[in-house]
Amino acid sequence: MTKLARRTWLAAAWLLVAGLLLAPAAGAQGTVTVLCSPSVVWCDVLKDEFPKATGINLEYIRLSSGEGLARLRAEKDNPTFDVWFGGTGDPHLIAFREGLTEFYKPSSWDDLVPAFREVTGETYLPLYAGILGWAVNEQMLNSMGLPIPRTWKDLTAPVYRGLIAMPNPNTSGTGYTMLATILQIYGEDEGWKLLRDLHFNVAQYTRAGAEPGLLAGRGEVAIGVTFMHDALHQAIQGFPVTVKAPADGTGFEIGGLSLVRNGPNREAAIRFIEWALSPEAQVLAAQRGESYQLPTNVNTPLDERSPRFSDVRVIPYDFEHWGDPAVREAVVSRWTNEIYPIPRPRN
Amino acid sequence: MSVHTVTHPSAVPATVHGRVGTPFWWALLILVGGLALPWSRQGVNVLAYDAARTGLWLLGQAWPVVTALVLAAALLFLGRQPLPSRTSGRVMLGLSTLGMALTVAQLFMRGEPFGLGAVVVFLGFLSIAGISLSYSGWLRVEPFAGAAILWLAVFIGVFILYPLGTMLATSVWVRGEFTLDVFRQTLRSPTFFLFENPWTEVSERRLAQWVGLAAGFAALAVQLVAHRRELGRHALRIAAWTLVSAACGYSLSALYTGFGALRNSVLLALSVGLVSTALGLSFALLAQRSRFPIRSLMGPFSTLSMITPPFVLGLAMIYMFGRQGLITNRLLGMNTTAFYGPLGVGVAQVLAFTPLAYLVLTGVVRSLDPAMEEAAQTLRASRWRLFHTVTWPLLRPGVANAFLLCVIESLADFGNPLILGGGVPFLPTEVFFAIEGRFNQNEAAVYGVILLFMTVGVFLLQHYWLRKASYVTVTGKPSSGHPSPLPGALEYPMVTAFVLWTLLGIMLYASVFSGSFVKLWGFNNTFTLEHYEALRTSGLGVFLDTARLAAIAAVPSALVGFLIAYVVGRLNFPGRSLLEFTSMLSFAVPGTVMGIGYVLAFNSGPLRLTGTELIIILAFVFRNMPVGIRSGLAALQQIDRSLEEASTTLRASNLTTLRRILFPLLVPAVISGLMFSFVRAMTAISQVIFLVTPSTNLATVLILSWVGHGSIGRGAALSCVLIAAMAVVVLLLNVVLHRTGRNAGRAITY
Repeated sequence: MTKLARRTWLAAAWLLVAGLLLAPAAGAQGTVTVLCSPSVVWCDVLKDEFPKATGINLEYIRLSSGEGLARLRAEKDNPTFDVWFGGTGDPHLIAFREGLTEFYKPSSWDDLVPAFREVTGETYLPLYAGILGWAVNEQMLNSMGLPIPRTWKDLTAPVYRGLIAMPNPNTSGTGYTMLATILQIYGEDEGWKLLRDLHFNVAQYTRAGAEPGLLAGRGEVAIGVTFMHDALHQAIQGFPVTVKAPADGTGFEIGGLSLVRNGPNREAAIRFIEWALSPEAQVLAAQRGESYQLPTNVNTPLDERSPRFSDVRVIPYDFEHWGDPAVREAVVSRWTNEIYPIPRPRN
Repeated sequence: MSVHTVTHPSAVPATVHGRVGTPFWWALLILVGGLALPWSRQGVNVLAYDAARTGLWLLGQAWPVVTALVLAAALLFLGRQPLPSRTSGRVMLGLSTLGMALTVAQLFMRGEPFGLGAVVVFLGFLSIAGISLSYSGWLRVEPFAGAAILWLAVFIGVFILYPLGTMLATSVWVRGEFTLDVFRQTLRSPTFFLFENPWTEVSERRLAQWVGLAAGFAALAVQLVAHRRELGRHALRIAAWTLVSAACGYSLSALYTGFGALRNSVLLALSVGLVSTALGLSFALLAQRSRFPIRSLMGPFSTLSMITPPFVLGLAMIYMFGRQGLITNRLLGMNTTAFYGPLGVGVAQVLAFTPLAYLVLTGVVRSLDPAMEEAAQTLRASRWRLFHTVTWPLLRPGVANAFLLCVIESLADFGNPLILGGGVPFLPTEVFFAIEGRFNQNEAAVYGVILLFMTVGVFLLQHYWLRKASYVTVTGKPSSGHPSPLPGALEYPMVTAFVLWTLLGIMLYASVFSGSFVKLWGFNNTFTLEHYEALRTSGLGVFLDTARLAAIAAVPSALVGFLIAYVVGRLNFPGRSLLEFTSMLSFAVPGTVMGIGYVLAFNSGPLRLTGTELIIILAFVFRNMPVGIRSGLAALQQIDRSLEEASTTLRASNLTTLRRILFPLLVPAVISGLMFSFVRAMTAISQVIFLVTPSTNLATVLILSWVGHGSIGRGAALSCVLIAAMAVVVLLLNVVLHRTGRNAGRAITY
């Protein structure tokens, strides 16, 4: 009898515990759900500030732009996200072409930098711009008695063997931007030859675009090819890197902002897009979000640390051609087949 | 005491618990649940109550609901007899199958995601179907076993096979058309495998042919010498060995000189499997039989490295062995990046998987019966001979298990290649990169299919090897005696390996720990608490969510794993090996593929689960359950069936035997399964990275994104919190186990 009683109590306790554990998280009304592709810190700032500005709650999930696109595709019939915030433009364009997102014309349309909105047209919205550059560990180069490289061509000098990191164009939009930039500056023949020579100097092809900067900061390599705002972030965090731009020209990316088609809360999504393109919201990126990309609203005050177009020789990057998925596919697969497998000495 | 006559052989149970049969209670549950609970839902909360969707409300509008409930009432009436005849068993089977079909029909007609009521009704009918399968005499097992088998079959079908099928379909169905183009492109890509590299001077193909020939001839020579007395009788065997050796030589040479993910993953898995199993076995033997008092050290270290998110250790290793590493550069003055790539990944995996091998093998080592060794010693066997002829054959199945686990773990490991791979391609990361970098689900699916075939191959090989041995040492008969000590030639190298391993572990943990308290790890070593303070705003909530989900998932993973081990290991029924095979499948599939499979399969229709917490829990359960199955099976293999036969002779039902005989003996296995599931869920990354939602983020995903962004200190801080919390859980479980241990022994000795 006592055994039975004990069992009953145990069972009751177990049920109680299970019930408490399973108690659902309360879902608030008036919530915008954001697929957030920039750094987590920036995403956290959005989560803090958007409710203060509008009274609408914000939930986000951080997924890189590639994961984000895969997620949107998988959820095509049943999107859980309202807005896609940030990340390289190309996946945003693909998402738009596949009907995963739709164009929304914000009231601040005329305040957006004309060069950017001409590039994107009525597909996705330009959120920020980033310039391709290098994170250079000068300490390391000095201690090895090596000069600081100035141009893309300099990077191919044999003295830099095993001292360079660049993103793998197979996995990183930054890596592809670099390929496209070099091919645009040097043309087909010389460009591919340069990429091949560069291959012998590369110690590591990284997965993500920001990683080469990290590697340079830690002194694993001396030069990391990365976006300048990512390099700047490493420098501000205290890593011994300086932000450089190649003197023979460099490319740039446009970060996207898209309205997800058939998202659960379209009204809140539109409020969010309006807010995200306002100067008040854009200024937060550098102030509190540790993100130093160039804002796209001309009225947004520039952070003095942000790299600017005027300081750097930026090429007239042809997004029309190089943003085309077929071109991208061809370039990346040529690189993967003809350059990637060439054996290179480790040191 | 009333004695029932056994009416037919299938319905053996003679102990009747209540006055009515079990189907009665299930039918009652269907009626209550089907009337009071909602059949479908709108949002992501699976437990939501919605009066307008309850069976009571639907009675007037949905004929399947009405019919299903009428069927349940009929079953209530039929199921009241404790021992029904075959005929009424068959009738009940028909009714309950119809009931399940009606439930599914209702869900599809409504088109909304399922609700709790539909689940209760469906599972109720399923249970009755299983029980009546046994009553009907078609399935020659007990009612309890019949229900258990059906439950397992349905759950494995829905949560393992269905998502995998969706994923496999994605590899050949591109935009609604059947095509093998993606397969062709992927197999040709140098990222996958490049055999004849035009950029090298030697011809890899020629070289592989030579190596294959040499291996074949060497094997032939050895075999000819070994069987020189009876060449005729062994001709087939000699030919087989020669061919196999030549093939192995050819493929190993091809892999070694080749390029690409296939090469890296296979070579890595083989080496890591061998090293981890060897270390795990050494440590298990040491813990049990060494004269050195190192047993007390063993537990904490193996547990510690197990409860650590893998990529965090990887990061710590960069600080130790990278170009600027504390050991490679400051201590040894080297300037090298050789650590990135297979070497670094291999070291990290050996660190991570040795405990796995150790935990598998420690149970096997402990249950070796000392009496057998004493018998050998009485016969004057030397210590080496004793180990060689008695201990090793008993250990072999366990070693095979450990090797299998390590190889599969290494093949599917995602975190270490991601952090330490240095841009070198590996199969599981390519699955992820195909989606993440190339936005190509179809290509990812192709990589998944290839990985799946490899792991299935390993599994089948191992299975064949294990079949040949018998390893019953727990017989229920009293045994006494002390295990014999190890031979010195074996013991000293083992101790050295253990000391080295321990030192490496201490170093890595110290660096993670100190890294969470300094401003910038490796560059600015001022003490700070800022990383822990930062956790309060964004890390802590996520951490608690993760712990809650992992805790919920651990219980079903361990119990389901144990149940499958029992059903597969002790019962005989058609489809048994299929059940075992598919239940192990989710373990062999890389997490990334399973994750995408889940997103694709559970995104729409009645089975919609994306966005819910439940999908994360289910992913945990079906991913971690194989660990429970493995340890359950290994433990069961060592328990003599005569114990259960005795229980059955005393008229105990299967359920009673399971509960009162096997379960107490298997408590260690179940508890370690429980612990493993929790820990694996807390540290899982590859599968759940696709399933996390805004309201249910997970700690590992958060750490990875912090680390990827360079906020290493914050990542280290959250990792420390994670490790500390899991250490507390593991300790508590051990204390509990210690108390309730009785004669069953402890799961893990610390």
